[in-house]
Parts: sequence; structure tokens; C-alpha cells
Amino acid sequence: MPELIEVCPVSELPPGERRLVEWEDLEIGVFNCAGTLYAIEDRCSHDNGPLAEGEFDPDQCTIECPRHGSLFDLKTGRPKTLPAYAPVDTFPVIIEDETIKLEVD
Amino acid sequence: MATTETPQTPVLTENEELARINADYAERFGFHDAENYLYKAPKGLSREIVEKISEFKSEPQWMREFRLKALEHFLARPQPTWGSPLLAEVDYDDIHYFVRASEKPGRSWDEVPADVKRTFDRLGIPEAERKFLAGVGAQYESEVVYHQVREDLEKQGVIFLDMDSGLREHEDIVRRYFATVIPPNDNKLAALNSAVWSGGSFVYVPEGVHVEMPLQAYFRINTENMGQFERTLIIAEPGSYVHYVEGCTAPTYSSSSLHSAVVELIALPGARIRYTTVQNWSTNVFNLVTKRAVAYEDATVEWVDCNLGSRLTMKYPSVYLLGERAHGEILSIAFAGKGQHQDAGGKIIHAAPNTTSNIFAKSISKDGGRGSYRGLLEIAKGAHGARSKVVCDALLLDEHSRSDTYPTIRIGEDDVNVGHEATVSKVGEDQLFYLMSHGIPEDEASKLIVNGFIEPITKELPMEYAVEMNRLIELQMEGSIG
Repeated sequence: MPELIEVCPVSELPPGERRLVEWEDLEIGVFNCAGTLYAIEDRCSHDNGPLAEGEFDPDQCTIECPRHGSLFDLKTGRPKTLPAYAPVDTFPVIIEDETIKLEVD
Repeated sequence: MATTETPQTPVLTENEELARINADYAERFGFHDAENYLYKAPKGLSREIVEKISEFKSEPQWMREFRLKALEHFLARPQPTWGSPLLAEVDYDDIHYFVRASEKPGRSWDEVPADVKRTFDRLGIPEAERKFLAGVGAQYESEVVYHQVREDLEKQGVIFLDMDSGLREHEDIVRRYFATVIPPNDNKLAALNSAVWSGGSFVYVPEGVHVEMPLQAYFRINTENMGQFERTLIIAEPGSYVHYVEGCTAPTYSSSSLHSAVVELIALPGARIRYTTVQNWSTNVFNLVTKRAVAYEDATVEWVDCNLGSRLTMKYPSVYLLGERAHGEILSIAFAGKGQHQDAGGKIIHAAPNTTSNIFAKSISKDGGRGSYRGLLEIAKGAHGARSKVVCDALLLDEHSRSDTYPTIRIGEDDVNVGHEATVSKVGEDQLFYLMSHGIPEDEASKLIVNGFIEPITKELPMEYAVEMNRLIELQMEGSIG
């Protein structure tokens, strides 16, 4: 059964900004790409290192893994460059009562 | 009664043999020319040098930014501590990062500066081009000085340019694929190459086109304390085929030079790329190279990698099998002589179902040299039906030499077929005795054993290179002047 978790008020995550949230043993990065919100698992599929703290390009809507440079598409979770080849998990983002929420399973 | 005198092969003691190792390298490849350069950067790496390289090449802004970002990655990363203790000898401040020998690449040998042309004449490149190559690139120091491709291939849309011209003339294709296989932050040396890259080859083969004869690039370092950082990108469109061959030499100096290339291959569905390297750097060169390929559905990538020279080589060509039924093949020979460490191998990643691969690695160590096999075989979850075979064999020619094997195998799927074999052998008294009892002198017998050992790989080389490779191995074996 999916569960909704709160991230923060919409006003606290303007375009170009990101936020990290924890849910159980999962860490999730939430990103604002020019007004649209996306969420991906904070784990590079290449070597399981943290991903969401890497270089965020809001225009291209990508995140670059800080460890080996794989570039991930935040919309799909798919890597656009090697060495990662497997996608990372993405999570639906919902706005309710001016609050950003994630649907997790 | 007349007696017949049997000619005697002079028997060398081990010390005499040691003294004659690679005795003709200086004569054949180890010479150097006077430096009549248009520009030679001072030693050391800085933001200014990187900007200067970009400015010299009149690059688009995105490439300049790419370089500067890569420089930050390079500076932020520590020197790797794995692989070889010799890595600690690399002094990044004692290297010239950019040397320009000519104004632009010539399309006829007459356009190449006379002294540079003489070098390539001595190395036999123009002659080889006439005989059996579809195209040639010749890089001297940082930049390509000569480039030519056969007209009929050009008409079919085949692009074979030096990388600088590739970026200028085909920016859209370069921007789409450049650094997608090896991003700048992949590792410290890839970051360095991304910051200061210069020269290398850009190859584009249109859909369905088969380039029957090999394209060749030849890389030459001339200056002392030089860093050569070529960048090669090969794109084979669906159903196409290309064979690219590279050769490398440098003068023998007492101080070190650094060669750190990045090579990216992209084999689109049904395409086949074969990439052959016959590397014979002088023993003052650190050869730290990142080579990686992707193979999509039904595509094949083959690396044939022959490493003879250098002080230290660390090179593990890899193939990512990203589409169903893709095939990867890595054939590697490393010959480690006195004072050398060849840390070579290969990596195959099966990321799609029914993909297949082979890694065959052979190393020969002699006179205290060290040969290492370092490899990775990974089968991702979901890559069912994958099949792979890894064979790494090491031959030790004496008791002072060393061989190590570091195979890593990660399997995330049940329905796969993986084989791994590794052997280490010494040229045995019994093998030598067997051959000598048939009238073959000892040094000939040793050569026969070594040739038999590497034959499965040399037979994959184009004829001209197989002959050259066997000759080089023989030279390393006996140290005699051809």
C-alpha cells in the first residue's frame, strides 16, 4: 500500500533547489526543475554511493553522480552517461495543501 | 675422413641477455628530433594552460567549460593508490601539457613540417598507408600533423578526422556522444584528459557501411617530460563495420613522460567495431589510459590490446553490453621486461539478456618485470542467458619476474554461463629439453614457446601487425638488433 510522506512547504523548494528526505532506510532527493518537481532515490546504481548531493542542472533536469560522473535524468531516473547503466528509482511527487509530498511504497 | 662442422649459436649468459634487452629500441624508435615548435607550454598544469589550449583551438564555449570543470575534478581527486606502487612516481608538475608542432593537420605528407615528416618516414607510416590502410592519422606531441582518408570512403560518408577538426566540423555529432561513455569525473586520469585533451581521432561510420581496410592512427611523443592526451571517439551506426588500429612510440629519455588517453567507442545496433593497439612506448613513459565501449543490440566490440613498452601501463579496455545479443571481446597481451609493470586486463559488463563475451589475456614477464591481469566480469540482474569466458594466462621466463591476477566476477542473475580459467607457468626445463632434443637451440626453443603462448592473440592482428608483433616479441626475447 503506497504511503504519502511530507517533504516541506512548496515555498521552501523554489526552482533550482533540492531537498533530501528520509523514509525508513531510504534516502530520497527532491528537485525543482523550473517549477516541476521530481524525486529519485539518493543512490547511484553504479556503486551505491550517494547521488543527490551531486551537481544539479535545473535546466537540463539532471544530476551528476559526485563519485564517478554518471549523469542521471531526474524525470526518468535513467543514466544518460556511463559508468552507471541501470536506472535509479523515482517517486511520484504530489502537492497537497501547499505541501510537497512523496508517494512511497 | 672429412668432418662437418655444425654452426654454433652463441650461448648468452643470463646477464648478457639482460644487458641486451630492447637493445635496438633507441635506434628504431628511441631517437628524438630537434624542437622547432610553434608553441610549448611551460611545465605544470593550471587554469591558464587549460584556457590557452581551448583558445588555441578556437573551441565553442561548452567545450571550454567542459575542460575547466574537468580540471576541478582532476585537482580534487587524490592520486589512486591501487594498481602499482610506480604510480607514486608520476609528477604532474613536471610535465609539458601542450606542445604545438604544426599549424594544422596536412592532408598530404608534403604539408607536414620536414623534420616531423622525417620521423614518420623512419617509422614507416607513409609506406604503410600506401600499402594497406584506408586512412591514416599521425599525431606528433599534442596535435595531429597529418590526416588522410581514402576518397571512396569519404564519398560513402565515412568521417575520419583528428578530434580537434571533428569538433570544429561536426560539432553536433561530437556534442551528442562526447564523454557519454567516459565522463570527466570517471577517474583522475580521465579528468586530466578531459581538461587538456588534444588530438586523437574522430571516426563516424554511417549506417550499413563496411570499412574493409583498417584506419590507422600513429602517436608519437618527441619532447622530454611531455604529456600526450589524445581523445578518440568512434561511432559506428547500425549495421556498419570499422577496424581502427593505433601504434605508439617515444624517444628514450631518462626522465618521465605521461600518456593518458581517453577512448570511447559506440557500436549502435548490429554494428561492429574492432580496435587494435600495438603499443611500444619507451620505458620512461607512464601509460595510463581509459578505454571503454558500449555495444547495443546485436552489436560487437572487440579490443585487441598489445602492450610492450612503457614504465607502467594501467589499462583495462571495457565493453558495456547494453543491448540484447551484443557481444564483447577483449584480447590482451602484455610483455613486462626489466623495470616494467604491465597492469592490464579488461572489463565486460553484461547489462542485457543473451549477451556474450570473451576475455583472453596473456602476460609474459622477464628480467624482473611484473605482469598483472586485472579484470571485471559483471552480469547484471535481468541479463539472463548471458555467456562469458575469461581466460588469463601468465608466462614467467625467469625466477626474478612476477605475475599477479586480480579477477573480479559479479553475477546477479541465475540463468547464465560463466567460465574462468587462469594459469601461471614457467618456461619449463622439460619443454626446453624436449625442443632441444630435437636439435633446436635453447634461445630458439624459448622463442617458440613464447610465440606459441601468444599465437591465439597475434593471429587476430592484421597480417602486417602480426609480423611486427612477432618481431617485437623476438627482439624483447633476444635483445638482438633485427
